[in-house]
Amino acid sequence: MTRPGAVALAIACAAAVAAPFLLKSFGIYLLSLWAVLAVAAIGLNLTLGYAGQISLAQGAFVGIGAYCVALLVPAGVPYPVAFVSAGLLCFAIGWLLGYPALRVQHHYLAFITLAFTTLVFLVLRNEEWLTNGIYGINAIARPTLLGWSTGRPLQFYFFCLGALAVIALAIRWMLRSPWGRAFVALRENPIRALSLGVDTRRYTLIAFALGASLGGLSGALYAPLVQFIEPSSFGLGLSFNLLLMVIVGGSGFFFGPFVGALIAVLLPEWLRIAEGYYLMAYAAGVMALMAFCPSGVLGLIDRASKAIAARRGFGAPTLGIERPQP
Amino acid sequence: MSALLEVSDLCKSFGGVTAVAGVSFEVREREILGIIGPNGSGKSTLFNCVLGQLRPSAGEVRLEGKTTTGMRPCDLNRLGVSRTFQMLQVFPQLSVRDNLILAGQEHRGSMVTRLFGRSDAGLAEDAERMIEFFRLSHLAGQQAAELSYGQQKLLDVAMGFMAGPRLVLLDEPAGGVNPTMLGELRERLEAYHAERGATFVVIEHQMEFVMALCTRVLVLAEGRLIAEGTPAEIRRNQIVIDAYLGSATPPA
Repeated sequence: MTRPGAVALAIACAAAVAAPFLLKSFGIYLLSLWAVLAVAAIGLNLTLGYAGQISLAQGAFVGIGAYCVALLVPAGVPYPVAFVSAGLLCFAIGWLLGYPALRVQHHYLAFITLAFTTLVFLVLRNEEWLTNGIYGINAIARPTLLGWSTGRPLQFYFFCLGALAVIALAIRWMLRSPWGRAFVALRENPIRALSLGVDTRRYTLIAFALGASLGGLSGALYAPLVQFIEPSSFGLGLSFNLLLMVIVGGSGFFFGPFVGALIAVLLPEWLRIAEGYYLMAYAAGVMALMAFCPSGVLGLIDRASKAIAARRGFGAPTLGIERPQP
Repeated sequence: MSALLEVSDLCKSFGGVTAVAGVSFEVREREILGIIGPNGSGKSTLFNCVLGQLRPSAGEVRLEGKTTTGMRPCDLNRLGVSRTFQMLQVFPQLSVRDNLILAGQEHRGSMVTRLFGRSDAGLAEDAERMIEFFRLSHLAGQQAAELSYGQQKLLDVAMGFMAGPRLVLLDEPAGGVNPTMLGELRERLEAYHAERGATFVVIEHQMEFVMALCTRVLVLAEGRLIAEGTPAEIRRNQIVIDAYLGSATPPA
């Protein structure tokens, strides 16, 4: 990581810890929602941004994770076990959803995953014996972990932030292993990757399964955050919103989902000064950003920093250190 | 010399079009075999069938006597068969070094050891040697997208060699490469062949390049093998001249 990057990261971490102390409970709720949805967006960034597989199913996995916790915890399962179960269940379902991706790509795959989201929504709505249908599940308790209650907004925020940090570090570590390189190869040129011994089938399935499992973990945090869940929260709207976070933040950039989730959660609230027009202003802003910077906010920053380096006379980083050989 | 690769009666049709119509040949250990022929004569389709990218309609491919027909490219690659493509196929967003490490990493350990093992899969030194061998040292940390076409071509070939393959199939390595770079490419291929004793199969249109590099040449036309011989024999072969090479003096 570059020096300015490390400074920016340190400031962002400090802000994430300090901010809730300056906010009222709704502000803390929004920050918690950011942390929760960032987990799901990191998962989608893995599937889409790194491995190049489009998915419109991430919202459905958040739903599966949320219902998993909301059903298991009242049945006497400890929250940590329910949390891990949500991740494992979504890993398994995500693995199965990866099979169509071995056959088709792009908009065909988008429609398969879109139909999956609709299927999950219908199951959540219609299978009342399990999910209580349109009435949803309420009074979902926030967990007490090792004697530490997360019941109050501030405590629950730090629980979500801690979970986000642990998950983000684990994914960062995974992406730095040879797996991360194989995912990028899968995105950039699957045929060449296959000819170099990369088992593209297996990596595609892993990309789907890991992305989905993060959706499930996000749902497992979402249920105790909002404390009331119902099927329509996990429809296509959420999947599109998560896709927006990944793309607006910068698809394939590690910190893209953090920035994207921040924009998608907070910007509409800040734009409330525009009163009745605030969502229109938000939509217009998204259109402008996508038209002028399809690589997202981090893509914009990346381009700008390269342009500044070029103007100062530094070329690509290696040229400054190693001299070209004669 | 024994046969490393045997192809027998290989056929491939796409709908009503027959691209390869019953081709048989063998590749001997340590030779450099050239395959030439007009555009559309089935050379690349033949490669793709041998390497598992396409499933042949009929026929058989054997590696050291074991049938490999229909095997997936990644499994064949791990058996020591490597290739380059006609079109440039490097990973533009990865650095030169990472392109090379990627080309070797799947040959090391299992999925689990790759996840928990070192980031470079223990290949940093191998990659460095390959970078030096192909004289790309000053570019090692740069993204492949920033390299010139000729440099990317060298990287592409280097990736094909990274896992230490015994058989390398090169599909038009000289295509679009300028004469200076072409000389360097040929010299590097010959050096690798001499050092490692690898076996090459080369598809190429650049006649000078093929005739200088290869020890034996096959000629394909319309999906069939029409000639086989040393470069000198192929140059004199009337059928080949009529079908492909053309004659220097117009017929009387």
